[in-house]
Order: sequence, then structure tokens, then C-alpha cells
Amino acid sequence: MEPADSRREAQAMRTRTPIALALLVAVAALVAAGCGGGSSSNSNSSGSGSGDLAANQTLTMSWGAEPPSLDPGLATDTTSSNVLLNIMDPLVKLDPKTLKPVPSLAQSWDVKGANVTFHLRHDGKWTNGDPVTASDFVYSWKRTLSPELGADYAYQFYGIKGAQEYNGCDAKKDDCNALKAAVGVSAPDKYTLKVKLVAPQPWFIQQAAHHSFLAVNQKAVNKWGEKWTEPGHIVTNGPFKLAVWKHDAEIDLAKWNAWRGAKNVALKRVNGRIITDGTTAVQSFAAGEIDVNTTGIPPSDLPRLKTEDTYQNYPALGTYYYGINVKNVPLNERRAMAFAIDRKQIIDHVAQADQIPATGFSPKGIPGFSTIENDYLKPTADLAKAKQLLGKTPNAKKTVSLFVNDSPGHKEIAIAVQAAWKKLGITTTIKQMEWAQFLEFLGPPPSKAVDTYRLGWIGDYVDDINFLELWTCKSGNNNTNYCNPKYDALIAKARATQDNGARYKLYAQAEDMLTGPNGDFPIIPIYWYTYFTQESASVKDSFNINLLDQFDLSKVKVVNT
Amino acid sequence: MTKFVIRRLLWTIPVLLLVILFTFLMMRQIKGNPFRKSERAVPAAIQANLDRKFHLKDPWYEQYANYVKGVFSADLGPSLVLRNQSVNDIVRSHFPISLELGFYAFLFAIVVGIPLGMISALRANKPTDYLAMLVANAGFAVPSFLVATLLIYYFAVKWDVGVPTSGWRTWQSKILPSIALGFFPMAYFARLVRGTMLETLQQDYVRTARAKGLRWRRVVGLHVLRNSLIPVVTAAGPLLGAVITGSFIIETIFAIPGIGRYYVSSVSARDYSVTMGLTILYAVIVIIGNLVVDILYGFLDPRTREART
Repeated sequence: MEPADSRREAQAMRTRTPIALALLVAVAALVAAGCGGGSSSNSNSSGSGSGDLAANQTLTMSWGAEPPSLDPGLATDTTSSNVLLNIMDPLVKLDPKTLKPVPSLAQSWDVKGANVTFHLRHDGKWTNGDPVTASDFVYSWKRTLSPELGADYAYQFYGIKGAQEYNGCDAKKDDCNALKAAVGVSAPDKYTLKVKLVAPQPWFIQQAAHHSFLAVNQKAVNKWGEKWTEPGHIVTNGPFKLAVWKHDAEIDLAKWNAWRGAKNVALKRVNGRIITDGTTAVQSFAAGEIDVNTTGIPPSDLPRLKTEDTYQNYPALGTYYYGINVKNVPLNERRAMAFAIDRKQIIDHVAQADQIPATGFSPKGIPGFSTIENDYLKPTADLAKAKQLLGKTPNAKKTVSLFVNDSPGHKEIAIAVQAAWKKLGITTTIKQMEWAQFLEFLGPPPSKAVDTYRLGWIGDYVDDINFLELWTCKSGNNNTNYCNPKYDALIAKARATQDNGARYKLYAQAEDMLTGPNGDFPIIPIYWYTYFTQESASVKDSFNINLLDQFDLSKVKVVNT
Repeated sequence: MTKFVIRRLLWTIPVLLLVILFTFLMMRQIKGNPFRKSERAVPAAIQANLDRKFHLKDPWYEQYANYVKGVFSADLGPSLVLRNQSVNDIVRSHFPISLELGFYAFLFAIVVGIPLGMISALRANKPTDYLAMLVANAGFAVPSFLVATLLIYYFAVKWDVGVPTSGWRTWQSKILPSIALGFFPMAYFARLVRGTMLETLQQDYVRTARAKGLRWRRVVGLHVLRNSLIPVVTAAGPLLGAVITGSFIIETIFAIPGIGRYYVSSVSARDYSVTMGLTILYAVIVIIGNLVVDILYGFLDPRTREART
């Protein structure tokens, strides 16, 4: 999502010059080491054998960023999302393995075409003592949709009848109250939540696991206004309470003993330190100050840390790809470029985080993947085929531009791709840009100067529509100028197909149209993302990250090592 | 003197207005959308809601006028990115930390830098001088991120002398960042003191003082040092301003919740109001710093005082 922040690739370990050492000794002498005592705090060790539950159920971890907002309506980033999903009670959760929705606050649900009904548990409670009711959800969802809130993720609700109309309402021209009343979400009784969708949406239940769909407490919002998310103000309903939030420094969670499932929650406290820099997080972990590093590992440290037991790698629902401006680069040249790239080599020698070579745009792990995937593209390069394809292109472009943003790692991959295309006789000019300008430059429509560019896509919910709809003509995320009415028709048909098996077959056709034997290749998939962390042995087994980069702290147990 | 101070204070108003205007116009020139944080496009309706909420589509002069009005009633507006915080909140919760860090760093710079420069000057062209200047030159040449990383690596990880790698909680956690941030000003002071002191040592009055039998220690302490400190005071003003407004690099490396990182992150996030608020903060501090230095200077050297009444 956001560009990784760690900018310090030229790292200390390599640059230990004599001058720096002399300087260090001098400083050491001058400061005269006035600091003894104190021990680094690896909190969880208390006698008894390994594997048993430790007496001290405290987890110390790093958060990768200051959450821009802990309002479910306004949060858009991973850190906010993970804090929220642990202090709030979602309607459904996703099974970590199958990704099927499993009951959480909603004990069951019925889907009849475009009508969805959630049946809420009766023992959901807010930390102020009020019960969690269906009308809390009605209030919260309409609040997120309200134009006054200006929620970035309001579009998550666009599948609900009347939602888009209400969100787009302009108080100067429209009757916003009427539009608000017309939104298809209602609470016929205290524990029944009814949702009317624009059209049947097979993935709606899964989508409801997203943090945008969490309920907020109306009393707290009314009382504190924009400041309702501060600790002391915030009213939550999940397994943990927000104990401390020192902006840019700390987010601590404390187990809430009155939560409906509290007896199955082992952790008593989560001490979270906000560390944005990968190197700092790695060093804190090395010093035993944190048990889990979710901030990340800088590319330069990866090869060294990967071999350690603490390194953990999780598959992600995301694709790192190169987009091609189809107005500038002809079809067979695009295909040739796709075949010239050796994904495996890029992963093994450049990206180095055990990513998976992407042979299509739909990521591995998406439901129905075995149906959707095609094996036209291979993990390795096929130069002969690439040359043959290029031979069929009399008007091939011999110099292409490649735009990447300036976060660490992208340029290195671009150089590898440049070398691969060089073998086809294509000269590539790499242009690096700062993130916000880069996005503006890509459009859509992209600037004419763009021949190829790098981007990634991380899924919001677990249905391939979330990926494949990108390449429809009107998609706001289609920066390639690609527009194929046949493709659009296929996606529209898939949207209307409720049966999973049948829908996956349509997805397979769509994927084929992008990257299959007769594919249009507006994009070249490079790899499927992975998430990686450092986890100490005491929590390694129970701390897990799912495909959507979410971790469930209510499942974490600190064991003796 | 009073007249001088009042006139200088009144001058800050047009200076601030210009600072606001230039920042405002420059921020609008760089491309980018504060509401688009990831590759995800912002749907048109949502963009319209946000533009309306934050008045981003009003004519620029109206936005400027509203902003100036806000500034003079001490309201720097809402952050466009940290949606539950205002710029005032951000300054209030993060500036004191940078101030504290800057103060310690400056203290380190003075306490270490000035003696280092003195020793160098008094032992000019001897091994002690070379060693001290090696430290000073290294402080000049080695970037602070390297100093910081080396300090963390050796003191917090490898030798584990009881200081944490990062954070800003216990007094132990404040040692390494203060040294890392104070390293450059320390080196600067050391070189400055050495240079001016060498010059002062050549002066006639020093020779006279020696000739009339004054003890060397007293000559150095009373005459030489005092006269050598004038340029240090001059340099200290702007340097202090720069140090207490925080350092993006040091704060990021040590995970310190200071204001410094916002100078960079607000620009890359296109958080217009935060960038402007911080620019104003910086301008005010530099203006005050320079004013204080000018006043101090007047006390130290009567000649400059007469020139400006």
C-alpha cells in the first residue's frame, strides 16, 4: 500500500570506516559511559518448561506506523486496521486458512439474492456497558457514508443500495436526509441487521470482515466529536481495550475481561511501540526490546536475517506488477516483454523476501485460484519465445520509458527488468519519481511519456473481482489505457454470477484475456507479495498474519522457551 | 534598545505573512493528492466530499485569507491526513519533545564542543590538537544517521550498556539521540572556538597580560575565552533554532515522537496544513532566536548597539 519508509539502505554495517570508529571511541571517552544498570526487557520468561503458557502474558511488539485514525470510518492503512480489528468486534472474521467467513459478533447470516441478514449475538457489549445492537451498525455505516465525514473508504459500501447516492450527495443541490434514509441498511429488531444490496454480491459477507464495517459507539462519537478515538474517550467492543495511545510513540492494548469471549484470550497486555524505521525495528528486536517486529526489515538486512529462526514469512493477497501503456507499446512487444523477464531470478537475487513468482494477475491464495490460474507465463524467462514474439512486431518500440517510485527496492527490480529487455534489443530508460507525484503522473489516463510503470495491488477482500475489475475501461486504477469491451462484459457477467464455481470459471477467462496465450498483456505480473516479520520463540507459534495482513491478538499465547 | 526590540517584533508580522504566502503557493504547485495514500484511486464523489470538507476547491485567495485569519487566532487548522488531529494538536504533543531533545543536544554541543576547541587551540599543532580536530572534523563530515546507527549498534545492541535502541521514555533512552543530534553542533563549536581562540591568543592585550605577570590560567579564562565566545554566540542562535525544531533523521532512527519528522512526512503526504503550520513555527523560532542573539550581542559588544538605535 503505502511506500515502505525505510530509506536507509546504505547501512552502518557496511560502512564501518576507520574514521567512524575513531570518532566513536572519542565520543565514548568524552561521554564516559555514564549509563550502567538497567536491563533490556524481554518480558516473558518465568521458570518452568518450554512450551507451557508463560506466567506473564505480555507481548511487546512494534507497530509500523502511527495510525492516521482509529475511526473505522476513516482508517485506511494496515496499522489502524490491525489496532481496530483487535479492539473492536467485527460481524465476521475470516478463517485464517480457508478465508471463509466465520461468525464473530454475527452468529449467523442468511443471503437471499440481494438481501443479506445478519443475526447478531446477544452478548456483545460496549466498554461503557451498553449492548452492541444492529442499530449501532446502521448508524455507523451511514455515518461512514455521510458526505460530511469525508471517509476515504466509503466506497466499500457502494454495493449497498442507495449508498453511492448518499455518499455523493451535495447538500447544496440534493436532499441528503432523504438519500440517507434510502440507504439499504436497517435494524428491524435489536439483533437483526438487514442489508439490501444493489445486486447479489457473493463476496459481501467476506467483505464485512473489513474494518470499515465495524460499528462505532454513537454516544462516544456525539460526546467527543473528532476526538472520540483518544484513549479515555474511545468506547470499544472487542477483546482488547485501547490502554495507551501516545502519538508516534506507543499504542498499548489491555485485555478487556468483560468481553464475551474473554476466557479464551490469553494475552493480558500488548505493549506496542510505534517504530516506522525498519533498521530501528530490527535493532530493537536484536536487543530483545520487542518480541515481534511488524515494522519490516530493510532490503539490505533481509539476506542476513532470513536465515534466522525468528524470521517469518506469510503469503499476501497482492500482486507486484508492471503496467504497460497500450497506446504506446504494441501487443506482441508487450507479450515479448513479459516473457523476457525472469521472475524467479528477480525474487532470488533482488527482492529476496521469498515472494512467489507471479504468472498471472490474480494472486495465489485467492479463492478459486486453481481454476483461475493459467500456465502461459512461467516463473523463469523464455527468451526464445520472447524474441519470436518480438519478431512478429514490425512497429516495435525500441526505446521505452519505465516509471518507478523512489521507495527502496523498486529501482533495483527495474534495473533487472531493464537488463532483461535489453536482451530483446529494447533500451529502457528508468525514471524515478516521488510517490505522490508518481501517482498523479500515472493518471488514469497516464501521461503520454509513460510506456511502462511499476505498481502493486493489495486486495481489500478475498474475491478475485477485487483484482480483475482493475482492468475494466472505467476503472480508476487502470493506468494502462487498456479498454476491451469483451473484458468488461466478462467482468460484468462474473459480478452477476453467484455460484462460486461458475464465477471462478469466468475469472479464469478474464485472467486469460490478460495474461493467457491470446492475452492482451496490459500488465506484466512480477511477483505475489509476502509479509515478513521477526517473531521471538515465545510467540512464534501463535502470532500469525493472514493474507490480508491482519493479525488476531486474541489468539496469541506467550509460551516459555 | 526598547525601540529596537519593538521595531524588530513589528517586523515579524509582514515576514510571517510572506512566509505563509510563499509556503501556501509552493505547496499548491507540487502535484499530488493528500487523500490518495496508496495506489488506490479515490472515487470522484469521495474526492469531492473531501475537497468540500477541507475547502480545497475554494479560490486560493479565500483559502489564504481564511488561513491567515486562523493563524492570528492561533488555529493552524485540521490535518488532512491524521484525520482526528488538528495541527495545533500535533504541535502541542510533539514539539515539546523536540524542544527537550534539542536542548540536551545543544547542551552536549556546548559542554563538549567548547572545551574541545579550547584544548585544541592551547595545544595547537600537537597530538592533542590533532586528535580533538579529528573528532571535530568527523562530526562535520559524518552524517548524523551514520553517527546514530553506530551509537545504537555499539551501545544498545553489541555492548548493551543499558541504553535502549530507541524510544523516548526513560532518561537512558535520551542519551544516544542527544549525542547523535548534538554531534554536528559540537564539532562546529569546537572548530569555531579553536579558530577564534588562536586569533585572540595573538592579540597584543594577551601579550600585555602575560607580560604584567598574570597567571596563564587567568589570562585564558578571563581574556581569551570571553573574547573568543562572541562568534559562538552569533552562531548559536540559528543553530539552536535548527536543533530544537527537531530532526527528521534522528527522530525516525530513534523512534522519537518529535515534530521533526513531520517536516518531511507532511510534505510527502501533501498534508498542506501541517506543512504550513510547521513552517510558521520554524519561522517564528528563527525570528526569536535571531532577535535574542542580536540583543545579547548588543550587551557583549557596545559598538553594535550604538549602530542601530
